[in-house]
Amino acid sequence: MKILTILVVDDDPVIRRLLQQRLKKENYNVLVAADGYKAQSILQEKHVDVVLTDLMMPGDIGGIEVTEIAKNINKNIEVILITAHSSVDTAVEAMKKGASDYLEKPINFDELFLRLDKIANVQTIFRSAQELQHAMDVTEHAASETIQALEMKTAELQGLLDEVENILRDHDSSEEVRITRALDKISGI
Amino acid sequence: MLKINSSELKFIAQYIYDISGIFLDESKAYLFETRLSSIAEELGCTSYQDLYTKAKKDTKKTIERQIIDAISTNETLFFRDKGPFELLQHKILPEIIDKRTSASPNLKTNIKIWSAASSTGQELYSIAIIIKELIPDLSRYNINLLGTDISDTAVSQASYGKYNKFEIERGLPQKQLQRYFTLFGDSWKIKDEIRAMVNFKKFNLMLPFSALGRFDIIFCRNVAIYFTLPDRKKLFDKIADSLTDDGFLVIGSTESLTGVCPRFVPKKHLKSIFYQKKL
Repeated sequence: MKILTILVVDDDPVIRRLLQQRLKKENYNVLVAADGYKAQSILQEKHVDVVLTDLMMPGDIGGIEVTEIAKNINKNIEVILITAHSSVDTAVEAMKKGASDYLEKPINFDELFLRLDKIANVQTIFRSAQELQHAMDVTEHAASETIQALEMKTAELQGLLDEVENILRDHDSSEEVRITRALDKISGI
Repeated sequence: MLKINSSELKFIAQYIYDISGIFLDESKAYLFETRLSSIAEELGCTSYQDLYTKAKKDTKKTIERQIIDAISTNETLFFRDKGPFELLQHKILPEIIDKRTSASPNLKTNIKIWSAASSTGQELYSIAIIIKELIPDLSRYNINLLGTDISDTAVSQASYGKYNKFEIERGLPQKQLQRYFTLFGDSWKIKDEIRAMVNFKKFNLMLPFSALGRFDIIFCRNVAIYFTLPDRKKLFDKIADSLTDDGFLVIGSTESLTGVCPRFVPKKHLKSIFYQKKL
């Protein structure tokens, strides 16, 4: 299974460090940002699979805005929001903007790892589907070239056979002439 | 998943053939199971025998329609394979338009096009988009675009013209997406100017074609592959009858008419093949 790169966005240094340590221990690649602006510049520079962001952050860029920025940069990025119980409604709002899930504080790590596993699974399946699709396109293209070449060749030979038949049925000429002309036709193949 | 046994395979295969003309060989048990088990389970059937009995008894034919929907493959894309559409744009349409307009320069030019297995409509909408871009003044033309499919669900989805991002992203260039579709929540909907150019209806290719009239261009791609050879022969013979003498037939890029229909000759334009009637 694919190793996910996760961007943690939280203004609280304690939560940031906690998330970073736990995720690293589970073998994820982890990037951190202390606010929405930093998150934006990381998203623009590096490949990220999942954004794990606090919903409420000081400044103009909160979790909803981070979701929009991430989805604009790459629509395949999954966003999980971390929210206080009181702001569940806002989290649902964010899901309409493309966030895939939310977790309530305090973070239950088992739950978080389960969701990340699911995302990794879906991304793996999605990638193999794309690879299969590509393999199918290549095969189909090669098959169509062969089939079309055969189709044209068969039609050409059919045309030739029809001409030979006409020559052989031409009762105005002697048998010898007909056979010679028919053979001339065929020798062109 | 509900398992199918060998005697069920035989009569279910026969039943599917009878209602749709689609021939599924008995070796493809997995195909019957993956496509029919959810219908069977939803109806509370304990076996495929049970599903068959229920389907036969259903006078409204709802189950029959569900089975056809499940069995008929709906994999289709906008501009699936570039070849046929380039062919249409650079060879077939200019030639037909030229012929028809020079034959009767003062009348409206009639052109009839049929997408014979239109699935969820992508092929016919792609054709409509090409026509729209090729002919600036459509008012001088009478262009009839018909799409037919055996699946009710496919026909209604085609008529509605709404596609999710996965259906739309592969094949359709961004420029055409922006120009001919409107974002509709998480999906894209075809604009009325294109929608108004086309018509979709349910049709079983096993039936006679006489009611459909004659066409200048027929697209019949990747559907005959699901038929037996005798049915394929009948299909293309009927297509030959429904095509004008100078009309064009386009089939799937991995399909062949060799040994299927001697009434057609293949012709090559750039990298694609089209067929015309042998006169």
